[in-house]
Amino acid sequence: MIGQQIINGLMLGSVYAMVAVALTLSIGVLNFLNFSIPGLFMIAGMSTWALIHAGVPWPLAILAALAITTAVSLVVERFTWRWLRGAEHFVPLVSSMAFLLMFEHLAIAWWGSEMRVLPPLFAGTDWRIAGFVISLPQLAGLMVSIASIWGLSALLKRTSLGRGLRTIAEDSDTALLLGIDIGRIVPIVFALAGLFAAIAGVLFALNYRQVQPFMGEAVGLKGISAMIVGGMGNTWGAIAGGLIIGIAEVLSVGYVGANFVDISVFGLLLLILFIRPTGLFAGLPAGRSGI
Amino acid sequence: MSGYLEGVLVLLAVNIVFAYGAFLPVAAGQLNLGLAGFGAIGAYASAFLSNTYGVTPVLAIMLGGIAAGLIALVVAVPVLRTRGIYLALATFALGQIVQATLLNLEVVGGAAGYPVTAFIRLPTIALFTAGVVLVVALLFATRFGIAVTAVHDDERVADLMGLDVRAFQIAAFTLGSIIAGIGGGLYAHHFSFIEAQYFNIGLSITIVLYVLLGGTQTVLGPLIGAVVFTLLPEILRGSANWRYVLFAAAVIVLMALRPQGLLTGEQIRRLLGLDRHGIRRADVAREPAA
Amino acid sequence: MTHGQPILRLERVTKRFGGMTAIDDLSFDVKRGSRTALIGPNGAGKTTVFNIVTGAVPIDAGRVFVDGVDISRVASRRRIAHGVARSFQNVRLMPHLTTLENVMVGQHCRNAGLFGVLQPVNLWPRNRWRDTAHAALTEAGLDQYAGATVKNLPYGVQKRVEVVRAMMAKPRLLLLDEPAAGLNSAETEALKSLLERICANDSVTLLVVEHDMHFVGALCDEVIVLDFGRKIAEGTPAEIRTNARVQEIYLGTPVIDATERRHAARSA
Repeated sequence: MIGQQIINGLMLGSVYAMVAVALTLSIGVLNFLNFSIPGLFMIAGMSTWALIHAGVPWPLAILAALAITTAVSLVVERFTWRWLRGAEHFVPLVSSMAFLLMFEHLAIAWWGSEMRVLPPLFAGTDWRIAGFVISLPQLAGLMVSIASIWGLSALLKRTSLGRGLRTIAEDSDTALLLGIDIGRIVPIVFALAGLFAAIAGVLFALNYRQVQPFMGEAVGLKGISAMIVGGMGNTWGAIAGGLIIGIAEVLSVGYVGANFVDISVFGLLLLILFIRPTGLFAGLPAGRSGI
Repeated sequence: MSGYLEGVLVLLAVNIVFAYGAFLPVAAGQLNLGLAGFGAIGAYASAFLSNTYGVTPVLAIMLGGIAAGLIALVVAVPVLRTRGIYLALATFALGQIVQATLLNLEVVGGAAGYPVTAFIRLPTIALFTAGVVLVVALLFATRFGIAVTAVHDDERVADLMGLDVRAFQIAAFTLGSIIAGIGGGLYAHHFSFIEAQYFNIGLSITIVLYVLLGGTQTVLGPLIGAVVFTLLPEILRGSANWRYVLFAAAVIVLMALRPQGLLTGEQIRRLLGLDRHGIRRADVAREPAA
Repeated sequence: MTHGQPILRLERVTKRFGGMTAIDDLSFDVKRGSRTALIGPNGAGKTTVFNIVTGAVPIDAGRVFVDGVDISRVASRRRIAHGVARSFQNVRLMPHLTTLENVMVGQHCRNAGLFGVLQPVNLWPRNRWRDTAHAALTEAGLDQYAGATVKNLPYGVQKRVEVVRAMMAKPRLLLLDEPAAGLNSAETEALKSLLERICANDSVTLLVVEHDMHFVGALCDEVIVLDFGRKIAEGTPAEIRTNARVQEIYLGTPVIDATERRHAARSA
């Protein structure tokens, strides 16, 4: 039923949206395409599984997974952003790709490459409203996503940190002139991005209950599409993009088949880049958009 | 020659070809994250030709390369209007589309993969590799090399000097894709089985990484990168996964400390005594200071 | 090519950037074979004039003629074939090319097309193009730097290499953007003698944007003064030095503020 599929699509879409927001923060503020974010997503998801599997109670496991992933994101910051000046302008991008590769193969080395299944933690807690079924993880997921994004938006609009971020996004030279300490803010951007990727990973693990070392690639890549569909560097656009892609995917799988989803999503992405290299929602020149 | 040694050398030869496929666009200042997609086009096209029409593998592989090049040419014009991260994303999307399309193409096996009947061995593969390296080296010894490097260094000034920046970028992108297609064809005709899942973003990333490791400022860089990536793990032994971890870690450290890669043109010139740095210091002393 | 015709003519050229008018109905001629300086306070539009002539920015109104040919709509890539070459304020040599190769980039416009591009210039040590480039470096006294990595060269040397690069295109009009900026007196002398050697035959016209008035006085025979995108005065260096309006612009008096200057400029 289409209504049910839309709900499922919203759930999937909010996961994509969170990943898209993580990517957007990096691009918007630092003009940095952070390929390690799909890897962070996977780390969060698989750590959640690993900790629960080891007997850790699930609230703790979730918190630990979030903390671990954010910490790893800061490590990535040390080794990509810090050495921005390089022979090629895409050195940070390349390092972030190396991190993705490293995370995936470390995961395989530690946990093996098979799919891992999480135990059903919330069985029997489904809500039935007007003929729709919403599971507790789905509901919690949607609420957490909304809360996180609202929190981020509040941070950006009302705190001095947020103002600093938005200023750097507009023009890093102006930011320097205004005395904004870019060196202090950059790790915060990475931490925020890591946190969002981690929340997405945990939500995915709890909702779909399947994790494997390459899960970052499938979801992370859709997150990239969501980000572009929504406009690079624009967080609200990223969210819209994520939801659009999530719903579109769920609907297409039902009617058209899984592979065509990929083709249409990435085809849409290409088309948008051809016509408007800055996505649908961005109003500012490529690479330098307001958050 | 033992089967094991042949296997390693074949892998090295194929990796070298892929490396030059990534090198060409990078030399013009662009990142082709869809490289594996062009490899896939070459692999599937050549395999289809040799399986269905009995085309001899050597010819099929070259035609596969051309097929990849034609597709690259068609998309290059719109894709290369984007820059920087947008270009990376556009090429990445391209690779994904190719992969997803091939997964759906039942005529070449779809998700189940595609067996390849014709079989080529190390000598043939080595000849192809040598040919690719020779062609690229010769190409870069022409004005093309200077022009591409100029475009890479400063598009604005290159344009004002009369260089057709877009034409060079498209040429580099297309040539790189042809080479990647040849690499795919070589792979298909030796490993006798290809599947779209193999030609994924991870493969593109890996190739780009070892090209950057080797050094992008000289034609020999990709060779070094491919050699290090292929042979070092053989020397060090250990599971395939730890090899990737070490490789990735090595790239990260290298990018942090020496982002121009292992080999640079400056270094080669100094080794060959062509960059008379030492003599120039004396000249600098003679140039009267303020 | 008719003698007596100016090598460069700007005819009522206007250029706006957003709400700001950088060049306002500007017209001037540069005499063939002259060494003309383009001076004016910061923001007068001098660099914009260069960008307009090289085609880096399109114009909103007016026309640009090089040697009698209207190049207003010619793509920036093709302008060098019309005889316009330039150097840059902050030296813009290609860091991954050697000095010799940088100079050879200047030869490209005479070598475009498939055959030109595939010429094996770096394959064996001696070939026509390398030799020509080497000879140009030698004539400029820079041949010992031929194989060097450009980023290691002294700044003054880099500036001269840039001029040699531009000259490889055999331009008829050479635009120099603050060539003496950042050079010490010895380097400035070396640059000046290089430029004089270049102008020795009449086939190259120099148009120089410069703030160093001594350099202008020593090198140039014509001066054009801009302010707020309009031509204020033109003449020989001696005439300009004694021009009251020019003195106002540069030395300023407490009474004259920016608005008055703009009004004065508009009535020029």
